[in-house]
Amino acid sequence: MAKPIATEPSYLGFWRSFLQTLKDVVADKGVLLMLIIAPIIYGFFYPWPYSSEVVNHVPVGIIDEDNSSLSATLVRYASVSPQLDVKRFVTEADAKAALWQNDIAGFMVIPSGLEQNVMAQKSASVSVVGNGGYFILNKNVQFGFLKAVGTVSAGIEVKKSVARGAYLPTAASKTQAVPLTIVPLYNQTEGYGAYVVPAVAILILQQTLLMGTAMLIGTWFELRRHQSSIRGWLGRIAALSTISFVIGCFYYGWAFDLHHYTHGANLGGSLLFLLLFCPTVATLGCVLGLWFKKRERSLQILIFSSLPLFFISGYPWPASQLPTFLQAIRWLIPTTPAINTSVQLNQMGASVSQVTNGFFSLAVLWLLYGLLLLWFCLKDNQVQYKP
Amino acid sequence: MVLWIPLVTIALIWWIFSQSQVTNLPIGVIDEDHGAVANTVVRYLDASPDIDVQKFYHNQSDAQEALLRRDIYAVVIIPSDFTTHILSKNSAPIILQVNAQYGTHSGIIQKSVQSVVGTVSAGVEIQQLIKQGASPSQAAIDYSPIKISRISLFNEATNYQQFLASTVIPALLHILAMVIGATTIGRELRDKTLGHWAQFIAGQRQNLPVSRPINSTTSITPKPTKTPFFILMFGLLGKYACPTLAFTIWAAISVGLASYPQQLALSSILLTYGAQVMLLWLSFWLGAIFTLATFSLRTGLSATGFISAPSYAFAGVTFPYIAMSQGAQHWSDLLPLTHYLKLQIAQLQMGAPALLSLPIFFGLTFATIIAMLLTTLLTRRALSKPDRWGSR
Repeated sequence: MAKPIATEPSYLGFWRSFLQTLKDVVADKGVLLMLIIAPIIYGFFYPWPYSSEVVNHVPVGIIDEDNSSLSATLVRYASVSPQLDVKRFVTEADAKAALWQNDIAGFMVIPSGLEQNVMAQKSASVSVVGNGGYFILNKNVQFGFLKAVGTVSAGIEVKKSVARGAYLPTAASKTQAVPLTIVPLYNQTEGYGAYVVPAVAILILQQTLLMGTAMLIGTWFELRRHQSSIRGWLGRIAALSTISFVIGCFYYGWAFDLHHYTHGANLGGSLLFLLLFCPTVATLGCVLGLWFKKRERSLQILIFSSLPLFFISGYPWPASQLPTFLQAIRWLIPTTPAINTSVQLNQMGASVSQVTNGFFSLAVLWLLYGLLLLWFCLKDNQVQYKP
Repeated sequence: MVLWIPLVTIALIWWIFSQSQVTNLPIGVIDEDHGAVANTVVRYLDASPDIDVQKFYHNQSDAQEALLRRDIYAVVIIPSDFTTHILSKNSAPIILQVNAQYGTHSGIIQKSVQSVVGTVSAGVEIQQLIKQGASPSQAAIDYSPIKISRISLFNEATNYQQFLASTVIPALLHILAMVIGATTIGRELRDKTLGHWAQFIAGQRQNLPVSRPINSTTSITPKPTKTPFFILMFGLLGKYACPTLAFTIWAAISVGLASYPQQLALSSILLTYGAQVMLLWLSFWLGAIFTLATFSLRTGLSATGFISAPSYAFAGVTFPYIAMSQGAQHWSDLLPLTHYLKLQIAQLQMGAPALLSLPIFFGLTFATIIAMLLTTLLTRRALSKPDRWGSR
């Protein structure tokens, strides 16, 4: 039996391993960047496009082929809508060209003879053309025009009722028999950033922690410093989780607040969540580090994974829409239970008992990653001591 | 990595959005009225394909609990005086409480419930007009004198596969191409084989460098003799030939999937394909530039991740460009993906004439050439500083 290559397995205890890991993180520029600096920068960088939150003054076109007092009223009502910013076009072709150039997001065509038809009590309609390629803009265009036309239309309806002898206030109150009152809960302003950023923050937390941890362990592997006792591994995981926990608190307590997102609805529960989430991800990072074995590999493999992981988390896209197989295997990734759990606790204010499923899933994942880590260590030991 | 990761990625994204219409989002109902019209509302809600009435609740707190558990995403409340209001010809509101934190779910539910309630409301009003003595057809006109015919040009059925998958795939290929761009040249730097490689392409050595144990302390080749610019450039083109070839195939699949079910002009498809190949080629050089400028594969990859991973959010597809802050718009303008996706959406989804998007294609081509020249210059600089090779 040949002796194993002279290495110094760092069989440190929990606390010494904990401190050594922190030291190594600080000393390694690459790991420091991934683990601490990147998530802080992202806290400002990612919400940047959404700073205005609600989309208003969408440029739209109107083609008035009727040139009547009724069509002028329609144009006026559309012009004062805060959702729209109206430009006039002469022909539909002009408006379409502007649409292709992204100068406008949609347009309304008022056909000639509109006023005549309305006066003659015949059916009359205007058409609104939106661009289905851009969902949010399209919604604004449709809704803005709908409101303008609806108001004008209701005015005509009231006049007619009055003409038939109805009492004016009764007629006016009755233009919609069953109105719908929409009460948006939790994200009450329905801002886009307030919707997407709290979820992406958890994804950023996971991805940076995974990349940083795997980079650190991969570097240790190159130096043959990666081996350790179970206690030593726990110390490492604890150290990495502590860093991530602080970053998580920075998001919950500061970044969300800065951008005026709903947050801290159940602060205790959120912190409890981080206490479970961070070590789970750190353990997975260790497993990946041992698997990748090289310093840079974690970056190469994990950079592109963020977008697909977000889409299968069930947050931006209903999980029930996913193919059955994906619905099952997506549970192997921490963000799958974590994003929903974090949002339920921190944004919606659910109690811990209402998210037990999420906590349970994370705990099972932690156990699974722990076993994988153990397996990697055992396998590695066998290889080391083989002749 | 060049071969299977992009292919798996394309398949995965297409698969994620394979069910292109959202169906049966769970909602709850609190019906305190139980009248005939209220029953109609519930029946229509249930019949609506996007939503599914999962459960009836008897009080607010039960419904609240279900919302917080995410068993349901909204609750429709029909108040107890609903029928009374309708009979007395007063306005009889229905309330929709919706979990607006889940933006996609909330948007779909709002649209569906709105359309159900609108239908019921119209029915009630027309009934009332008929009771007043109007003929049914006249009542329909009087109820709403000006109708709107809504046309969502392009992507009419709000098809998510077309909207999301066909834009996410190029975004991911862009990220992967930058990673590969950084890795291809970065590996030579890390392993200190850059000089060996330069001598090989200049014909001064027979063999290509092989991978060496990392972290070795000496550089194998001493400072190489100066390699002429064009030899270096063609050497780089050769070095990236294999991934370039692979990504021209991935781009073909990506464009093919995005344009597959539609009747499109061939010129539009070809232009989009050409632009995507340019985007990916540009991505290689960008990855290489970040690596060569910092002499380190690790920082090159970090920069790649920082720039490319969130670039989809800045591209204006999910959140409109015009609603972004000025600064974010400038950043978005700097990203090649923004311009590419603008071209793709105009060509493949809006059916714009190819001529209209030609400037974007030329812009991408120009940027690619500049980036290629810059990569060559930076490679030359890196060759002249062998002491900085091997940086991690």
